[in-house]
Amino acid sequence: MLDAIQFASFAEFLDMGGYAFNVWSVYAIFAIFITANLILPMRKKQKIIRQLKRRMAVDAEIQSESDET
Amino acid sequence: MSAKQTTTSAAFLATLKRDLLIAIKKKNDIVNPFMFFIIVVSLFPIGISPESDRLREIAAGVIWISVLLASMLSMDNLYRSDYEDGSLEQLLLSPHPLFFLVLAKNISHWLVSGLPVVLVSPLLAYMLNLPAQAYGTLILTLLLGTPIMSLIGSIAVALTVGLGSRGLILAVITLPMSVPVLIFGTLAVQSTLNSLSPLGYLSLMLVMLSVAISLAPLASAAALRISVN
Amino acid sequence: MWLWFSKLGSPKWFYELSGRWLPWLTAAMIIFMTIGLVWGLLFLPPDYQQGFTSRILIVHVAVAGTSLAFFPLMFVAGTITLVWKMKLADMVAKNAAILGAWFSFVTLATGSLWGSVMWGTWWEWTDSRLVSMLFQLFLLIGVISLRSALEDSETAAKACALLSIVGCINVVIIKYSVEWWNTLHQASSPISTDSSSPNGPEFWIATLIMIVAVYLFLSVSLILATRNEILERERRSQWVRDLVLKS
Repeated sequence: MLDAIQFASFAEFLDMGGYAFNVWSVYAIFAIFITANLILPMRKKQKIIRQLKRRMAVDAEIQSESDET
Repeated sequence: MSAKQTTTSAAFLATLKRDLLIAIKKKNDIVNPFMFFIIVVSLFPIGISPESDRLREIAAGVIWISVLLASMLSMDNLYRSDYEDGSLEQLLLSPHPLFFLVLAKNISHWLVSGLPVVLVSPLLAYMLNLPAQAYGTLILTLLLGTPIMSLIGSIAVALTVGLGSRGLILAVITLPMSVPVLIFGTLAVQSTLNSLSPLGYLSLMLVMLSVAISLAPLASAAALRISVN
Repeated sequence: MWLWFSKLGSPKWFYELSGRWLPWLTAAMIIFMTIGLVWGLLFLPPDYQQGFTSRILIVHVAVAGTSLAFFPLMFVAGTITLVWKMKLADMVAKNAAILGAWFSFVTLATGSLWGSVMWGTWWEWTDSRLVSMLFQLFLLIGVISLRSALEDSETAAKACALLSIVGCINVVIIKYSVEWWNTLHQASSPISTDSSSPNGPEFWIATLIMIVAVYLFLSVSLILATRNEILERERRSQWVRDLVLKS
């Protein structure tokens, strides 16, 4: 299976038959695109949950204060 | 049945007449887009080149793009004043199909903003050195194309009628949609210049116009109902 | 049928169902993406005409093909919003517009990186696919800016739904008219677009795997964003409160 690899050395792999800049730029853009559109929604979810928790805590506090008085 | 028919057509005509009268009273709305069109076209020779050969090549495109920009500018006052003085709500409450009332407004708007631009275009075509054989085609494409732009623009205006500042968003929504009209309008002129028949393009634009007349007012009416509530 | 439909429209139901699907979809996405990328980068033999630039095409074709799905998707979502007033459809549509703009942009970027090798130029107006993709991006930006301009979320939902329907019809017309426009200008162009696809079954299988991977990515990302939208819009409901307390 390793024979099927198209490159003899790592340097050759990086060079991409002379089209290093274009090929690697495309894969870099693709990688950024994929990770950004997966990571950002996940981080946003955490932010939303944090905010909701804080708000609920504040609500509970107000509730308990009004109960005391 | 027949009574209802007449009242709908009467309402159609009344809306048309009312809008025309208002437009004639407020001359600015007619004159400004018209002047804008002339000024933009006059800027191209200064910005690109005064050489007559080069101008001839770009003439049709310059006129078409300037028409699109001018129609953007004039679209803004299609529903705006009616929205502000509340007559748009009255229009929505009217028992007649909104389709025809919107169509009447679009037609009157085209008559005061699209038609003058079409009529002055031969003069500008002359200034841009467009060969005389292409004048007829240019006017025909503009006659078919500007109403399409008014009808499409009307949807975007209806969607944004409640917004405070909307000049730019209107352009962002509508200008990409003008691509087919621009393509066929300029191709028709080009083919006349190459001594080919522009009939194919003109009939395609006619098809687009009839589709726009039958569908766009529906979308505009729906858009008005969404924005005014 | 109708019961099922109204159930589907409930954000809570979707949230729970998508929560169960998400791990499987993510796993499938990672598997396909890994196979596609490893194959594409390491094993794909160089094309006899294009050398290793065929590696660009694998990614580009997959993203480009997937980005054609956005306007049909928004058309369907818009129709559901307008006809059945389903909130969920609008939440999907909102995020589809944003993701679609990303997809169109990446399609253009990878396309011009490929074009700069094959055509010797970054941008080529005579390639109808690039031009119509550019206008698809413009139309999507129009939908996004309309949404951000309208404050009332219900008005925004309906207005964007209508604009998406009009936009979808328009994208089709633009695509065909640009293609037509192009064939007429082809005579003046130094490029023949037909030589653009390398042959060979390896290339097509690798591309197919990437297309599946990118579609899976599209659904995972869209589901994640829609779930966030649900949490934000339903934040006052009891089930979201319970969910937050548990987490």
